[in-house]
Formats: sequence, C-alpha cells, structure tokens
Amino acid sequence: MIEIKDLSIDLSEFHLKNINLSINDREYFVILGPTGAGKTILLECIAGLHKVKQGEIRVNGDNITNLPPEERKIGYVPQDYVLFPFLTVAENIAFGLKEAKYPKTEIKKRVDSLARLMAITHLMNRDTRSLSGGEKQRAALARALALSPKILLLDEPLGALDLQTAKYLRLELKRIHDELGVTTIHITHDQTEAEEIADRLGVLNMGRLEQVGMPDEVFFYPDSEAVSDFIGSPNILECTCCNSLGQGLMEVDCGGLRIIIPHDGNSIERIALFPRDIYISDTQPPGPHMNRFKGIITEIKPYGTTERLLVKVGDKILQAEIPRDISEDMDLIVGKEVFLIFKFKRIKVYECKCNHNEDKKPS
Amino acid sequence: MPGLLKGIGSDRAFKGATISALALLAIFFIGIVVSMLAFTDWNTFISALLSEEILFAIRLSLITATIATVIAIMIAIPVAYAISYTKFPGKDLVDSMLDLPIVISPVALGAVLLVFFSTPLGSSIDDNVIKFVFAVPGIILAQVVVISALAIRLLKSTFDSIDPRYEQVGRTLGLSKAKAFIKVTLPLAKDGLIAATILTWARAIGEFGATVILAGATAMKTETLPVSIFLSLASADVEKAMAVIFLLIIIAVIVLLIMRKITKRRYQI
Repeated sequence: MIEIKDLSIDLSEFHLKNINLSINDREYFVILGPTGAGKTILLECIAGLHKVKQGEIRVNGDNITNLPPEERKIGYVPQDYVLFPFLTVAENIAFGLKEAKYPKTEIKKRVDSLARLMAITHLMNRDTRSLSGGEKQRAALARALALSPKILLLDEPLGALDLQTAKYLRLELKRIHDELGVTTIHITHDQTEAEEIADRLGVLNMGRLEQVGMPDEVFFYPDSEAVSDFIGSPNILECTCCNSLGQGLMEVDCGGLRIIIPHDGNSIERIALFPRDIYISDTQPPGPHMNRFKGIITEIKPYGTTERLLVKVGDKILQAEIPRDISEDMDLIVGKEVFLIFKFKRIKVYECKCNHNEDKKPS
Repeated sequence: MPGLLKGIGSDRAFKGATISALALLAIFFIGIVVSMLAFTDWNTFISALLSEEILFAIRLSLITATIATVIAIMIAIPVAYAISYTKFPGKDLVDSMLDLPIVISPVALGAVLLVFFSTPLGSSIDDNVIKFVFAVPGIILAQVVVISALAIRLLKSTFDSIDPRYEQVGRTLGLSKAKAFIKVTLPLAKDGLIAATILTWARAIGEFGATVILAGATAMKTETLPVSIFLSLASADVEKAMAVIFLLIIIAVIVLLIMRKITKRRYQI
C-alpha cells in the first residue's frame, strides 16, 4: 500500500499541490493528465529523486519520504527508457543484481527468465542504441524488474512508440503486471490507454490531483470542470421504451433517437457515449442506417490536436470529437449538415434500477 | 560594393572570400614548414635530436606533463562534476573565476606562484615540504595551475552533456550517489575524459611561461622541451631548436588525430 499525504513540491517549472493518494497492493494505477501537469514530478517523488519537504510518502506504513532512492526498492522506468549505452541489453538487466552482489549463476538465471518474460531473448547481446522503441521499452522494464521490486513506476511507457506497438505493449504490460503482481503506477496523457489498462486512475492537472476512481467513474462522472474539460464530458441519453431484438441486441428510444445496443438483460435506463466514440461524416455513409443520425453543427471548439463539435440532432445536442486534420478535410463549419455514427461497441449502458439487479455500475 | 551584398553574385563573392581566407592561411603554414625543412640540415638535426640534452628534455617533459595531467584530472573531475550537477549560491561567479587561468598569461601565473613562495607561508613550504622554486616540482606545479582550468572546462562540458537521469536510474537500481557516479556517469563520460586528458597533457607538454618563471631555465635541470627551444635560440643553436620544434609538431599532430577519432565515436545522448 502506497500512501501519499499532503505532498507539495515546487520546482519552478512544475509543482505539486497537496497530493493525497493511496494505492493498493497489486493495483495497476494510472495517473492521467495533460502535458505539464506534474505527472513526472509525482513519480520522481515516489522514486526518491526529489527532496520532499512538505508531506509524506509511506509504503506499507513505513515512512520513506527521506529515504534515498537506492533504499526504496522501487522499480523505475523513465520516459525514453534511459538504458545505459555502455552496456549490452543483458548487462543492463543484470546491472542492479550485480550491484547487490548476487552470485553469478543466480544473476544469469534471473536475467534469462526476465528476458523470456519480456520476449527479448534474441536481443541480449545487442547494443542498446540499436534497439527499436518497443525493444528498448522491454529491456528497460526487465532492468527495473530485475531486483523484484514491490512497486513499479512507469513514466509514459508507451508515449514514444508507434500506435501498433503501443497497443500491443499495453496488453503486455497488463499481462506482466498480472503475472508478477507488482503494484504499478503508470503515467500517461492518453485517455484510451488509461481506460484500457487502469484498475483505478487519478487525474492530475496543474499540480493538483483532481479526481481518483475507477476508469468508468472518472470518465462518466467527472467531479470537476478541469476533469470534464480534459476528458470531454460524455453524451448521456435517457432512454425510454426498451425493445429486445434477440441475439444480444436491444433497441431503445432516447428522446426520438432509436438506437440499437449490444445488450442482453434488464431494460436500459440510459446510455452514455464519449465524444471520441462518435464518427462524423459530411456525406451520407453507405450501409445500413443503424445508429446513424443527421444533425447540424452548432459549435466547433478546438481542443489540443482535436476539435470538439456540438451537433444538434432533433432536440438534442450531442458532442463529437474528431482529429483536426479530418475536420479540416471535410471543411466543417457551424450550420453544416453532418451525419453522426455511434461506435456500436463503445456505447455504455446503465440498466434500470427498477429491477432487482442492484449493480448500478456501467457494464 | 552594393552588388556584393545582394543577389546571386553576392553568394559567389562570399564563398570566394571565405575560400581565399582558407587558402591564404594554408599557404602561410605550408610556407613556414617548407622554409623550416629547407633550413634544416638533416645530419645536424638527427644528432641534435639524439644529444644528451634533448633526450633529457624529452624525458623530463614526458614525466612532468604526465604527472601534472594526472593531478589536474583528479582535481578537475570533482570540481567539474560539482559545477555541472549541483546548485549553490555564487555558482556562476565561481564558474567564471575558474576560467581565469585560461585567460591570464601563463607568465603572470608563474609570477604569482613565485611571489607566493617568497611569503613566509610559501617559503616555509618550499624549504620544509617540497622544493618548488627553481626545481622540477616547480615545473609540475606550474603545469598543473595552467592546465587544470582547461581540464575543468572540458570535463564540465562532458558532464553537462550527460543526462542526470542515467544516474537517477542507477540509484533506483540500488547504487549510492558515489557508486552511481563511478558506475554510471564515469563510463558515460569515458570519451570526454580521454579527450580532456589528452588535450590537457598536450597543453602541459607545451607549457612554457609559468614554468620558466617558477622553475627557471636551467639546462639539464629544469629543461623541458619548450625551455630547450628557448635555451637553444638564446645560444643561437637554431638546429637544436628546430629538432625540438619538429618533435613538438609531431606530438601535436598525433594528439589531433587521436582527438578526431574519439570525437567521432562519442556516445549520442
């Protein structure tokens, strides 16, 4: 159990203010926040790389606030991995073990098993500078795990990788976490990444921890403007008139919009859909008319590399988010007629509470 | 002249001007070397080179420069590390002051040292601990004072180029601060360290101004290679001076070739 109490630090460029957080054993915890939020500083404080003068950090009840990094037994994978260029991959992984004076045969055994776990056995004698991003990531992870730390800190571990590799490594991270049961803190600015990998997550913004909770809680019930602004508040539609179509499908009526949802069970009270899970097209798309609605753009808000569009459909305003370049290609302007397509599988369902099922959480 | 700074013609004129400057410089150096070769009589050159006095100067120069380099690097490593990685009040001032020995004339440095050894503290050190004035340790001291600033400057830029996160990762892997420095930062600094050692050594070999003031120019006693050139010229023995100059040029060329090789394979961080 990691407990952070009233942690504040000011490093001129970045700062943290009154961070209070506890992370359970074996948990995969994600710290989500925009660039410059102070995520890395928080990780570095836990690793012991900054002198903390305000607040404290406890691990299993022991106060480690003033412990030097070498005595904390925390694995750390910094951004860009920082592999030692003067050592081979195998020597990088063995580095901490050698320093801890493990016998040679044991070091070899441990390095080999880590290499197998990371699927990098073929890279062991390579110069680290010749590795691809994904390979560096695995090597750095193996190095951090060599001393069997109870806690693993990952700083934007997938940030520098191409989309395919990042997607694959995301699953790998989760697999390795489950296999070793190491408490993991992973920081990222990517919401999809956070949502897919986190047991729980915390949103950090401008040095403040805005909200902590399960991914669905945070994404669907942002409890501050900063969080909902960063995440993009979901479209929530109240449903009436549920109609089971069989084959695991249900048709609902949400104030005039007839939506088909992959759902098998109790009637649906309402549904939620993130702006990024609504496609936009300026021409009538081919194919069936399922979950597709015509609307008029009422507002365009730029946000980072994306644009958020408010679209009036019937008497409802829905929010969609698309990459800026795509929006520019379609020449989207306020008043233009567009088609919205809901990503079928991304629709979140809230069942009726009138039923006996007490589970009110989104499925 | 208006055409020179504008249009296509100006590009050509600018290129022409820079290349002419390069050509002039090359002609100047080649001219000096050719005239030197023309001047030198090879038999006298070889016999001068193998004379007892020159062999003594070679030996003395190699020994003093090597000892001075070891001392200077030992001083420079912690100092450069401190300036590069730690923050303390007045750091900028200290940083600038450390460049003084590079900027000040070596003769002035030698004079300052000589004056120090005539103070009560200095002379008691000179009399009771090690004899510096007009003695071989004086050569080493003069060289150390002149080259350590250079060593600090070179090592500081090496340490500056090393991301402190390497050391931080080393510490999360169980290394104390000192161990992380030895096991992580020093290996990363290896090429810079070798380059700094070679350059400061070459500078020590060539040191004359401070040496001649503090250790004097006594033949066969405090006669390093540059002092030997000075003594030979003072007694109008030009062949002997030429022999030593050639030797120094050869050392310089070797140093530059090694440096080129090192800077090419430096770690890309």
